[in-house]
Amino acid sequence: MSAITMENPDTHSGISNAKLGVWLFLASEIMLFATLFTTYIVLRMGSVAWPWGWDVLNVPLAMANTFVLISSSVTIVLAYVGVYNKSKSQFRLWMGATLALSFVFLAIKAVEYGAKFEHGISPATSVFYAVYFTMTGLHGLHVIGGIVLNAVLLAMSWSDDCWNDPLFLGRIEGAGLYWHFVDVVWIFLFPALYLL
Amino acid sequence: MAKTSAAQHDDHAPNVKLYMGVFAALMVLTVVTVWISKFHLSIGSAVALGMFVASVKAGLVAAVFMHLWGEKKLIYYALGLTVFFGAFLVIGLIDARLTRGNVTTPMDVKAQGPAHAPAHGEAPAEAGAHH
Amino acid sequence: MSHDNHGHHELSFIQKYVFSVDHKVIGIQYMVTSFVFLLIGFSLMLLMRWQLAYPGQAIPFFDHLFPADLAPNGVMSGEFYNALGAMHGTIMVFLGIVPLAVGAYGNYVLPLQIGAPDMAFPRLNMASYWTYLPGGILMLSSFLMPGGAAQSGWTSYPPLSIINPGQTVWLLSRVILITSSLLGSINFLVTALNMRAPGLSLWRLPVFVWAQMVTSVLLLLAFPPLEAASILQVMDRVFHTSFYMPKDLVILGQAYHGSGGGQPLLWQHLFWFLAHPEVYVLVLPPMGIVAEIIANNTRKPLHGYKTLVFSMIAIGALSFMVWAHHMFISGMSPALGNFFLVTTMIISVPSVAILTCLIFSLKGASIRYNVPMLFALAFLPLFGIGGLTGLPLGLTVTDIYLHDTYYVIGHFHFVVVTGSIIALLGGTYYWFPKMFGRKMDDRLGLIHFWGSVVTMTGIFAPMLIMGLAGVSRRLYDPTAQLHNMSTQGLNVVSTWSAYALMLFQLPFIYNFINSIFRGEKPRDNPWDATTLEWACPSPPPHGNFEKTPRVYRGPYEYTHPDHKKDFWPQHEPS
Repeated sequence: MSAITMENPDTHSGISNAKLGVWLFLASEIMLFATLFTTYIVLRMGSVAWPWGWDVLNVPLAMANTFVLISSSVTIVLAYVGVYNKSKSQFRLWMGATLALSFVFLAIKAVEYGAKFEHGISPATSVFYAVYFTMTGLHGLHVIGGIVLNAVLLAMSWSDDCWNDPLFLGRIEGAGLYWHFVDVVWIFLFPALYLL
Repeated sequence: MAKTSAAQHDDHAPNVKLYMGVFAALMVLTVVTVWISKFHLSIGSAVALGMFVASVKAGLVAAVFMHLWGEKKLIYYALGLTVFFGAFLVIGLIDARLTRGNVTTPMDVKAQGPAHAPAHGEAPAEAGAHH
Repeated sequence: MSHDNHGHHELSFIQKYVFSVDHKVIGIQYMVTSFVFLLIGFSLMLLMRWQLAYPGQAIPFFDHLFPADLAPNGVMSGEFYNALGAMHGTIMVFLGIVPLAVGAYGNYVLPLQIGAPDMAFPRLNMASYWTYLPGGILMLSSFLMPGGAAQSGWTSYPPLSIINPGQTVWLLSRVILITSSLLGSINFLVTALNMRAPGLSLWRLPVFVWAQMVTSVLLLLAFPPLEAASILQVMDRVFHTSFYMPKDLVILGQAYHGSGGGQPLLWQHLFWFLAHPEVYVLVLPPMGIVAEIIANNTRKPLHGYKTLVFSMIAIGALSFMVWAHHMFISGMSPALGNFFLVTTMIISVPSVAILTCLIFSLKGASIRYNVPMLFALAFLPLFGIGGLTGLPLGLTVTDIYLHDTYYVIGHFHFVVVTGSIIALLGGTYYWFPKMFGRKMDDRLGLIHFWGSVVTMTGIFAPMLIMGLAGVSRRLYDPTAQLHNMSTQGLNVVSTWSAYALMLFQLPFIYNFINSIFRGEKPRDNPWDATTLEWACPSPPPHGNFEKTPRVYRGPYEYTHPDHKKDFWPQHEPS
């Protein structure tokens, strides 16, 4: 088998199978979230009254969450750098940091949701809350998916076979692409739901 | 067969300084977004400004963190196609706007007055149910 | 380019045949499973057809099988009728045709036709099959739900679908099936773009591969909106949100308890945003199959290869812009209706172009009338009828009259049954030798062919007439409307044609199973075909090609002036 690596994909398009696959997957995810955003806009336009985010949601908490997620995007890039530099310790440190930040994100989300539930507010309360819970909920599920993926990759660094596999760098890059996408969705979600 | 060369390898060399720069920019822009949202702008301006800043942030993440800047053309085509088709979803928005106020939903009916109300107790029957 | 474990260790039975990562095994798994689902979906329809031909009469033979709430005294209830209708449509589209056209033939043939050892992501391929099967079983389990199976049409329009029984399981299984499709489409695109054999440029690809690529783009980009919309419907049902439920909704005299503020039309837009590209998913791979069979059996290159390819691409692109022609009288803005009228008329052009190229390919040809070719030939006029009958539906003014009548049912069944299914059956006979190293029996094939084509026409042609007479669709008792009485006799014709169609599938089922074990063993390339799938043994071993083939010419070099034999395979050096 020839030395297929991320830099030498040996494919017609010049892009490795995995990278192309991840980007196509992200294309489909863009359509998914575009639909949800469209739904939000349609329902808001058709509504008689729509609350201002600042009045009903916890903006400071969500802003903190935005910082958390952006930071996790940076740490996952640094994890990639760790693999690029063939440093197990660097990779593990930054991937671990990414996972930790992801859990913080979920924890803050849980606090937000908890506060709403305590006041008897659920998705059924109004269309605003239906949109809020569904969009942040689906985003949250994507965060959980990313956590699982990143955790598996972190665990793989303890296996010499996986670490030394020339395709490992590409796997980290792929996971990074997905994670950045999750971050990008939040970058739009935060102002759309909380600030407008 | 291999279309990449050693030179390309260096393009992929991570530029940690750049990443940190983008990190700082993203944090600043986040603060900016929250700050301008506190001014009660009209909904149109608020949306435009908010989405503009979000686009800049997303663009930075995509171009730098996701390596889109300097990526192969095929990826651009795939994303371009996605955006093009996704844009057609806006037709749903246009329809919602054009049909606003039409007598099609009970809410509108109520707003227009009893003359337009459906017969009392009339159920939205589906063709095929056995009467 | 062979696999790491090629010959290094023996795989267990489970690894080889159940959880296989080999695209050929997965393809056959898809094929068998989808045939079973097609049979189930067809059987549901046979029950419905009795009620339509003889409304109010007990179903013969099977009346004791149904519980009293579904069919009191053996006479189908309205709710049961609706459930059968909704499940028939859903099963045929999502569990039958798409898995057969894409999952089975796409999976099996595409890597072979591009000279690849397997798909780009073999484990993802396995995952997509093992998502499809449980998703399908979950869909069927809707019949066991309290209140009965999903009965809101395959279109699942709210508000009805929010309050009707059986719908949650149906929606969840649809989400699972969409995921399966998504995984498959990513695989197909990466494989076709990245893993072509050397020398196989895009313009040397068989039309079938192009068809699968366009189809995969549709599956990739059009399905997610429906997935999102379906999740919203599940939220409405389970968490009582009001994405689709308008304010002040009154159901059977009682106010609906949700918050209101939703829009039913939103669902229709999102649903049809997918469902229109979906119908091209149903039709493009079969068109690709017809192209392959015709090229092979006319012994000359296809007429207008580039036109065919560009037309398929155009159809794919335009399919995203025509969806609301399903919604002309939904309450949508009429101005938008005009936009969709124009785009719908435009999309008919590439469809006609494809058919024209295929028909012109017959001119001056030395046609071999074998069983696959008969199916491919039958596709042309019958799909043509289907396409032409679509035009009055695409024009807003005539659609006002024809919408939700039997005319629509006649139209789409002509394109999907006498179109797609006929082509898929042709593909079965054509690629059977490749898959099993045996040939199907020709005499049984002829009986199957003629019987199917005649009975299919017998089922659906009357529907066009009934629709023009104004008979509504989804009508449990056709005699409930006085103006239907003039065409009620046609219902009887359709029903008996349907039963005859089922009978004519029996020779096919027998032929298929029997030939696997006892069919005649042909050469590796029994059709003397030029495309790469015939350049390896039949059936191909794990890894397909001993040595990666090199491609020297286009896909349909039949009767080339510079070559002695009447076919010049792609991989043979000059």
